[in-house]
Amino acid sequence: MSKRLIMIHDENKCIGCQACNIACRSENGTPDEVTRLQVRVEGPFGDAPNLHFKYNRVSCQQCEDAPCVKVCPTGAAYVGEDGLVSIKAEKCVGCMYCVAACPYKVRFMNPETKVADKCNFCKETRLAKGELPACVTACPTDALIFGDANDPSSEVVKILNTKPSYQDKTHLGTKPRLYRIPTKRGGSSHEQYLGRYGAI
Amino acid sequence: MIKLDRRNFIKGAGAGGASCALATMLPGTLAALESAPLKGVGKEVASICEMCSTRCPISARVVNGKNVFITGNKAAKPFGGKVCARGGAGHSLLYDPQRIVSPLKRVGERGEGKWAEISWDEAYQTIAKKLNEIKRDHGAESVAFSSKSGSLSGHLFHLGKAFGSPNHFTHASTCPGGYVVAAKAMFGTKVKRDLGNSKYIINFGHNLYEGINMSETRAMMDAQMEKGTKLVVFEPRFSIVADKADEWFAIKPGTDVSVALALCHVLIEDGLYDKEFIERYVEGFDEFAKEVKAYTPEWAAAISDVPAADIRRIAHEYASHAPHAVVDFGHRATFTTEEFDMRRALFAANVLIGNIERKGGLYLGKKAKTYNKFAGETVAPILGKPGVEGMPKPTAKRIDQVDEQYAMMWSSGGIYQTILDATLEAKPYQLKAWVMSRTNPMQTMTDRARVVETLKKLDLVVCCDVYISETAAYADIILPESTYLERDEEIADKSGKNPAYYVRQRVVETIGQTKPSWQIFKELGEQMGLGQFFPWQSMETLQMLQLNRDTSELRRIKEQGYVSYGKPLMLREPEMVSAFAQTYSNAKPVDEDGTYGSQLKFKTPSGKIELSSKKVEGMAPGRGVIKYREVDLKQDDELYFIQGKVAIHTNGATHNVPMLANLMSDNAIWVHPLTAGKLGISAGDAIRITSSVGSEEGTALVTPGIRQDTVFAYMGFGSKNKELVRATGKGVHCGNLLPHKTAPVCGMNIHTTGVKLAKI
Ligand code: SF4
Ligand code: SF4
Ligand code: SF4
Ligand code: SF4
Repeated sequence: MSKRLIMIHDENKCIGCQACNIACRSENGTPDEVTRLQVRVEGPFGDAPNLHFKYNRVSCQQCEDAPCVKVCPTGAAYVGEDGLVSIKAEKCVGCMYCVAACPYKVRFMNPETKVADKCNFCKETRLAKGELPACVTACPTDALIFGDANDPSSEVVKILNTKPSYQDKTHLGTKPRLYRIPTKRGGSSHEQYLGRYGAI
Repeated sequence: MIKLDRRNFIKGAGAGGASCALATMLPGTLAALESAPLKGVGKEVASICEMCSTRCPISARVVNGKNVFITGNKAAKPFGGKVCARGGAGHSLLYDPQRIVSPLKRVGERGEGKWAEISWDEAYQTIAKKLNEIKRDHGAESVAFSSKSGSLSGHLFHLGKAFGSPNHFTHASTCPGGYVVAAKAMFGTKVKRDLGNSKYIINFGHNLYEGINMSETRAMMDAQMEKGTKLVVFEPRFSIVADKADEWFAIKPGTDVSVALALCHVLIEDGLYDKEFIERYVEGFDEFAKEVKAYTPEWAAAISDVPAADIRRIAHEYASHAPHAVVDFGHRATFTTEEFDMRRALFAANVLIGNIERKGGLYLGKKAKTYNKFAGETVAPILGKPGVEGMPKPTAKRIDQVDEQYAMMWSSGGIYQTILDATLEAKPYQLKAWVMSRTNPMQTMTDRARVVETLKKLDLVVCCDVYISETAAYADIILPESTYLERDEEIADKSGKNPAYYVRQRVVETIGQTKPSWQIFKELGEQMGLGQFFPWQSMETLQMLQLNRDTSELRRIKEQGYVSYGKPLMLREPEMVSAFAQTYSNAKPVDEDGTYGSQLKFKTPSGKIELSSKKVEGMAPGRGVIKYREVDLKQDDELYFIQGKVAIHTNGATHNVPMLANLMSDNAIWVHPLTAGKLGISAGDAIRITSSVGSEEGTALVTPGIRQDTVFAYMGFGSKNKELVRATGKGVHCGNLLPHKTAPVCGMNIHTTGVKLAKI
């Protein structure tokens, strides 16, 4: 069976430290002005002393039904055999349709290459060498878990089977491959956070 | 909260074209060199991070000749093969165009920012001539030496001693000195905490999830997530650690000692303490119990705003997990002048439940010497020290050696801020020169204006650094040190429950003319006529000396980067002791109860844990027994001003590192909505924050995550020298708002004061 690579962000373990952000930049050479990844520490929400933060990973969700791919007029935005939404640099004409179409607002034009860019699960820089994505490798508290959801023995499957998780904006039918484990403090209702990406 | 907003997402924060232009104009910076591709020294090099003082074991490799990718060294299990944002951004410092790569001399007034590149020879000659003149006219003691601790402080202080000055200082009294001195008084030595095995953790604002200390941060998260450990946090601000806690109490600033003492009160009055442990290992319990009798939870509640019923309940919960429970004794920030008794009270709450040398409690570090003795064989090599014959013995006293009460601090880094008194008021005698290495008192000491005055008054100021730091901006000569990614250093001790060594190794070839500090201070020493005290030729010679010429062991440590010897040992933990005794056939005989309890001795006058101390009473009359004393932190119409660490920056050091400045270059001032409302302040407003010593402009961050009577800012921002282009003028400079105040016994610099806010 083919792989279904997914990532889990455990918001209980996440401390918002940005080690993932820096590791991603370092490995993928992202220019200063843009980023493939941020973990926003939002809030605090609630009434004191019952406050809590939301640790919001903002990066490509690796949609299985990706709006960015659908609108790309040249096929530069495509789904590879590995199932990952990627970008063929030589085909990108810089029309920015994909940037506009992404409901998660995580695609951007790379100011150096002038090509659309985003998280690709470190497909070339790490996965190709058999390494885990840079952000996963760096995370000090092991809040990021990466693996094949089609492999029943994988850690990601074990976690999804044992812990409550959610995906963002599922109502759009994008089928994100980024799963989130909600903080205990904030309750499992992620609904209150929907639309927060509008802040970008 | 951490400001990672649109501005940072879309455009780098202030690191645009203009700043780069200024950087190229600065002589001696990397920008002035042709940018050549990086040359790596090996495929993957194991080394030690230096982006903060945790010094995590790292593994680094050069990618495509232009980048270094840094991760944690997987051989170092407690560190999990991880780095934080700062550690991952090390290459951004390495290749920063604003880094200095040539010796510089001041050509304008001090602090004016006019520099000329000079050769190493000229730098050494200028410094040597001046220092020798000062020694001739005023004595060697009139020169102070200060440094960030590590290999570099070893070499600088060696030079200072060879020169004949007793005055050498680390930054201890501005950061971790308080708990070190308190531990010395009680246990005779430093102690460590075993957070990872703890079942119940009480935390007084030790923000391990922002002030990251990799092994401890990971251990605490693991305990919380995998072992169901309960975490209780007392902190005036809703920090990340408060968020991750099971219970958070917004304690009134500076009142931690009252809650700690009330916990002790409940433990004693309700008979929850470990009587056998006290009987066997503790001195001065009765005096302490008598004193603590008055410190009821109700009494503490009135002082701290923590409800009495909660204090009582928490004490019971804590005791029910004994001995696998811990009260974290904290880290930086000296909240009040009662620092010494606050830390002692935190230690006392541990001693009472007998968690010493038990899993999840406190323990003493097991270095090779101790460990080998227990094992009855050489499990780990004992590191040799390069002894140098005939080192001069300074005749003068240290400048902080005026009052006997500080005696425990003299050998723990000294009272750093006395350099200001000695320079400005000739107390106890006149200082004439200050030689520094990688230290930034302009940010980390209090009363910045007084630091400036001091630096202006001295006859000679020398700074060794990687940037023109806010302090280096006032130097006469700046010596450019290689970054840690270009340096080889001695084998360092990283022992915990068992011995471990690791080593810093260069990852890339040196850029520009920088040098490692061991070489800089050796060459300067030679120029000063002190060459006989620097007999070693290279770092390799020193490493060989350390390992008693065991080349294969040296190679092993270098290859693996981190080597751990034996297995964890806690003397009162039966499982560990039995595993230990089974491993080593010549191991010390185990006690009847299956532990090494009879071997547990303390380096105090009584050989026991001194809950109350006659020694301290002798040093500081009235302070032998831990006691509550009222403190004066602010005026009635002022707000408490407190500070803390952020995960993205290290105190006074990283704010100009491009990648980190790009993530966060500013520190907003946290204000409670009600307080802000009363002052007519709205979120994002420009505000003025004023204390008794200084005034700063900043931005208001209106948040319920802070007490109404308190304001907070992350420290290390708001640099005022124009050379640190990415950091200058951004945010609030905390040191400029804090008055110069020293805590009794431990000599710590106080970090809480009163401020007023006004909308600009
Ligand atoms: S590195 Fe891990 S803990 Fe830090 S922000 Fe990223 S996901 Fe969160
Ligand atoms: S998150 Fe955006 S960029 Fe990523 S696959 Fe979905 S639509 Fe495309
Ligand atoms: S998977 Fe790779 S590209 Fe995606 S955020 Fe993590 S480090 Fe960046
Ligand atoms: S905590 Fe971060 S900065 Fe400090 S030594 Fe470790 S990786 Fe480096």
